Amino acid sequence: MNIATFIIKNTWRNKRRAALTSLSVAVSLFLLTTLLTALRELTVPPEDVGASLRIAVRNKISLANTLPAKQRGNIQKIPGVALVSPLTFFGGRFKEDDGIGFAQFGLDADLLIGIFGEANLPPEQFDAFKKDRRACLVGRDSATRHGMKIGDRITVKGGIYPCDLDLILAGIYYGTIDDRNLYFHHTFLDEAMGNWGQVGTWWVKVKSAEQVPEVIRAINATFANTSAEVLAETERSFQLGFISMLGNVTAFIGVLSSVVVFTLALVTTSTMSLTIRERFRELAILKALGFKNGEIAAFILAESFMLSAAGALLGVGGGWLLYSKMSVSQATAGIFPFFEVTPQIAGAGCFVAVILSLISAVPPIISACQLTVVDGLKTLD
Amino acid sequence: MVSIRDLSKVFYRGGQPVQALDNISLDIPSGEFLVLMGPSGSGKSTLMHLIAGMERATQGTCEVHGVDVAKLDESSLADWRSRNVGFVFQTFNLIPVLTALENVEMPLLLTKLSPARRREMAEAALDLVGLSDRAAHLPKQLSGGQEQRVAIARAIVTDPLLIVADEPTGNLDAHSAQEVLELLQALSHEPGKTIIMVTHDPKAAAYGSRVLHLEKGSLVAC
Ligand SMILES: Nc1ncnc2c1ncn2[C@@H]1O[C@H](COP(=O)(O)OP(=O)(O)OP(=O)(O)O)[C@@H](O)[C@H]1O
Ligand SMILES: [Mg+2]
Repeated sequence: MNIATFIIKNTWRNKRRAALTSLSVAVSLFLLTTLLTALRELTVPPEDVGASLRIAVRNKISLANTLPAKQRGNIQKIPGVALVSPLTFFGGRFKEDDGIGFAQFGLDADLLIGIFGEANLPPEQFDAFKKDRRACLVGRDSATRHGMKIGDRITVKGGIYPCDLDLILAGIYYGTIDDRNLYFHHTFLDEAMGNWGQVGTWWVKVKSAEQVPEVIRAINATFANTSAEVLAETERSFQLGFISMLGNVTAFIGVLSSVVVFTLALVTTSTMSLTIRERFRELAILKALGFKNGEIAAFILAESFMLSAAGALLGVGGGWLLYSKMSVSQATAGIFPFFEVTPQIAGAGCFVAVILSLISAVPPIISACQLTVVDGLKTLD
Repeated sequence: MVSIRDLSKVFYRGGQPVQALDNISLDIPSGEFLVLMGPSGSGKSTLMHLIAGMERATQGTCEVHGVDVAKLDESSLADWRSRNVGFVFQTFNLIPVLTALENVEMPLLLTKLSPARRREMAEAALDLVGLSDRAAHLPKQLSGGQEQRVAIARAIVTDPLLIVADEPTGNLDAHSAQEVLELLQALSHEPGKTIIMVTHDPKAAAYGSRVLHLEKGSLVAC
């Protein structure tokens, strides 16, 4: 036997308690990992995807206010701009009785793939879509749900706009973060509205990521002091604009994380204190045999560390495994496109576990050190 | 071997002094199997704790092999105990998660011996108390008498010159008690070993080479 065996046997002597403690550490660290990953995803924009090249331009007053179609030429002229397409949220209903609908967007059909490059669909379907001004594309999820086939007539009743759209399904796309939307020709909406001359938003594709900030500035400046001032922002912050309507999410996540860690510290500290208190008599024996406070403190610390380490392995490791296997992007409708547990986040989780094992070992170490041999022997089992 | 001079111990309980030991002087030569008897609360355990360096005296000196135990600091005292004293308690006090052999090996973890040598010594000690066949058993799988014999093996594994036993047969049936007492007696015949045993049982006391009576913290003649 050696010291390590002794510590391991001690740690798992009360198997249920050790398992429950490790499990509560695991669940909390899993939660923490999730929160930190969410926080990172919300604050750090994704780097390597078309999204980082896309700029959303909306009316400065609110999303509900439209923009004049004639702005397009001005935007197109700005250096760094590759493509510009209108994108108007139609907000209609596909079937009266269907609660779960899907969004419909009018855009420039020619530019769909150019701007939203992630969408996959057979080239002949895309061609068919471009050729017919009544054509539309639907995401695979919606097509499956509603049993749509190519060539079907799709009627969308207007909600925001006082017109109905009578469309023909030309293609079914897949592979975007949200394969549910319906896309149709913006020109079709314009006609249905009687030469409307307005668009909901502009979506701009920039030539390179470095030019994005400059292009955003230029677009905002171009329409400053006009009757339709705009707010240009990256697609990411455009999406986050929706999220932040729910409140200050990042601060909320920060508070939540602290609460998780704090609660966890309370749980592990009380468990460790209880565990060691039950063993005062044995600790007194060890002291009688000649073990010193330093050694006894090391035993307690090692035990606390083992419980936390098991929890960290399970919680952080489990989180990493889960999020790398499951598609968080789909589960959150694209709000979290990657949800990657980075080494830094895993490291932070493990660091918290180490600190936790230190903190929870302190009170039992103090009481174990204060224990005298004779007093310890008098405690009952 | 043990030389005690004017030893007193006062406890304070709720501000009230309790004189557990009152000016005791006593010499215990090497090779003695000393039995301490006396009514409950007379100070038997306290005297034993002072000699074994588990507690400090209020007054007086207690020299064991020329070392004044009370003068050592906490850490040196712990070292001294690990090298010089073996403990046997009424309630066996084995570590429940360790096997008999591991319990016996425990004190050796404080030495610089190799793992193989530690194991060898633990096996020898367990053999001496006749429990080689129980090496892999946990304390809860042993009878009370066997547990106490494992405890004795743990007490002797470091080959200490002083063995203290506080009512070692208090929780045992007559047969197991006899085994334990015979074991202690045999140990006391080993050269240089001193054994101090506290007991309430006159039959147990008969195994000792000398019996001392304590009453209200003082030695009394019988
Ligand atoms: N830690 C303590 N605090 C206060 N008083 C104590 C303490 N330890 C012992 N005493 C008192 O000292 C006296 C002697 O106690 P001790 O334990 O030595 O008696 P004992 O002879 O071993 O008794 P028993 O046969 O019941 O074990 C008793 O009056 C006891 O109450
Ligand atoms: Mg006693």
